[in-house]
Amino acid sequence: MHPAGLAAAAAGTPRLPSKRRIPVSQPGMADPHQLFDDTSSAQNRGYGAQRAPGSLGYPAASTLPQAAFLADPMSNMAMAYGSSLAAQGKELVDKNIDRFIPVTKLKYYFAVDTLYVGKKLGLLFFPYLHQDWEVQYQQDTPVAPRFDVNAPDLYIPAMAFITYVLVAGLALGTQDRFSPDLLGLQASSALAWLTLEVLAILLSLYLVTVNTDLTTIDLVAFLGYKYVGMIGGILMGLLFGKIGYYVVLGWCCVSIFVFMIRTLRLKILAEAAAEGVPVRGARNQLRMYLTMAVAATQPLLMYWLTFHLVR
Amino acid sequence: MMQSQQPYTGQIFQPTQAYTPVTSQPLYGNSFEDEPPLLEELGINFDHIWQKTLTVLHPLKVADGSIMNETDLAGPMVFCLAFGATLLLAGKIQFGYVYGISAIGCLGMFCLLNLMSMTGVSFGCVASVLGYCLLPMILLSSFAVIFSLQGMIGIILTAGIIGWCSFSASKIFISALAMEGQQLLVAYPCALLYGVFALISVF
Repeated sequence: MHPAGLAAAAAGTPRLPSKRRIPVSQPGMADPHQLFDDTSSAQNRGYGAQRAPGSLGYPAASTLPQAAFLADPMSNMAMAYGSSLAAQGKELVDKNIDRFIPVTKLKYYFAVDTLYVGKKLGLLFFPYLHQDWEVQYQQDTPVAPRFDVNAPDLYIPAMAFITYVLVAGLALGTQDRFSPDLLGLQASSALAWLTLEVLAILLSLYLVTVNTDLTTIDLVAFLGYKYVGMIGGILMGLLFGKIGYYVVLGWCCVSIFVFMIRTLRLKILAEAAAEGVPVRGARNQLRMYLTMAVAATQPLLMYWLTFHLVR
Repeated sequence: MMQSQQPYTGQIFQPTQAYTPVTSQPLYGNSFEDEPPLLEELGINFDHIWQKTLTVLHPLKVADGSIMNETDLAGPMVFCLAFGATLLLAGKIQFGYVYGISAIGCLGMFCLLNLMSMTGVSFGCVASVLGYCLLPMILLSSFAVIFSLQGMIGIILTAGIIGWCSFSASKIFISALAMEGQQLLVAYPCALLYGVFALISVF
């Protein structure tokens, strides 16, 4: 009868090595009606070094008084139950997190390296010389961003977003308008605009009934690239005043416009258009207008989210 | 139930795996003399702490991937408190900000590293590395006690120390997680985090 042992063994993972357990059953029980053996008067057993339950990982060897406390089978079982509960909880989270956040799909977007990031940033600021915008495929799955500069990634948008919030805080700080809750306000308003954009584009894609392999995460990635230009504009505005801000922002707006058109054309428009054939037909016209509309909102939002930061 | 990819956790002073239950004596016996020393019980290994500190302080020294095998939070706790104490010496009572920013930063780095690396990391490992690399920031805030950092020298010093911290942190992360070609990518979010700490020190 080792309920504690069973429970812990069932939930045991290599990270929780087998614990030492005080044997619960004693030969020769004193009182047949007693539910648990009375071991309080038994000689003390040291517990030895053992791993504490949970993720801390500090060994907790007990000294004499603790051994007496833990010798009590009730608390012993409670502790084993608690640790098994924690392990089960963790497994539950690990199993179910995939339902809400597609972790494996997200991992694709973060498989980047420094060379890719450098080339992509160069492309965002100067997309005019790049010839081939097609994403390479490998047996029906797109190649990881590490191997193809045209593939979308989420590292740059995520870092750009956080940097934008911090740089906005810096800009407000230099104008003596800074307070920590303003930082949260900036972050949430930028996030709200992003969500709105994504929903609007998804809605219009649905209405135009376009057959595209553009996933939501892809869309978030593409829409997040404008934060790079915004950061550039704000930094130049901080260093060189309004002139620097307008010059750099104007340049980044045009670049992101061209970038978005060239990237989305391949995703939204039909294959014919992607090969450079002139677009004809009402359906293709509509898609072209949609692409242009998406690309045109980028500069507008870039200006809207930054003009109040540069005085 | 085994998972195919185990997150990377530390192990320190694990009891010997081969033991027969019930019949054998426990490892550390019954009597008072056989108890393990207190530091060993608490898991504080000064030698390892010193080695890790040296790794942080020599940014150009190649890091050994196995030093992060133990999830040691004692060192980082000491460094956080020391950082708060040096801020206190400069007249800024901002322990709350330090703890809050460390927590959010550790959480962010934990999510990012789990998404970017092949093997996962545990939260304790991330917190431990980021805490150890806070050491140069303590130097910065102690400078702030003596002279104000808002001039040109202060800016250069701040930038240098942020670079030092994030370079060490990224070096330890990529050697422990075997991520190639991503050192700058890991260093950038670390630099953002330490930049916020530097902001607290400077302003």
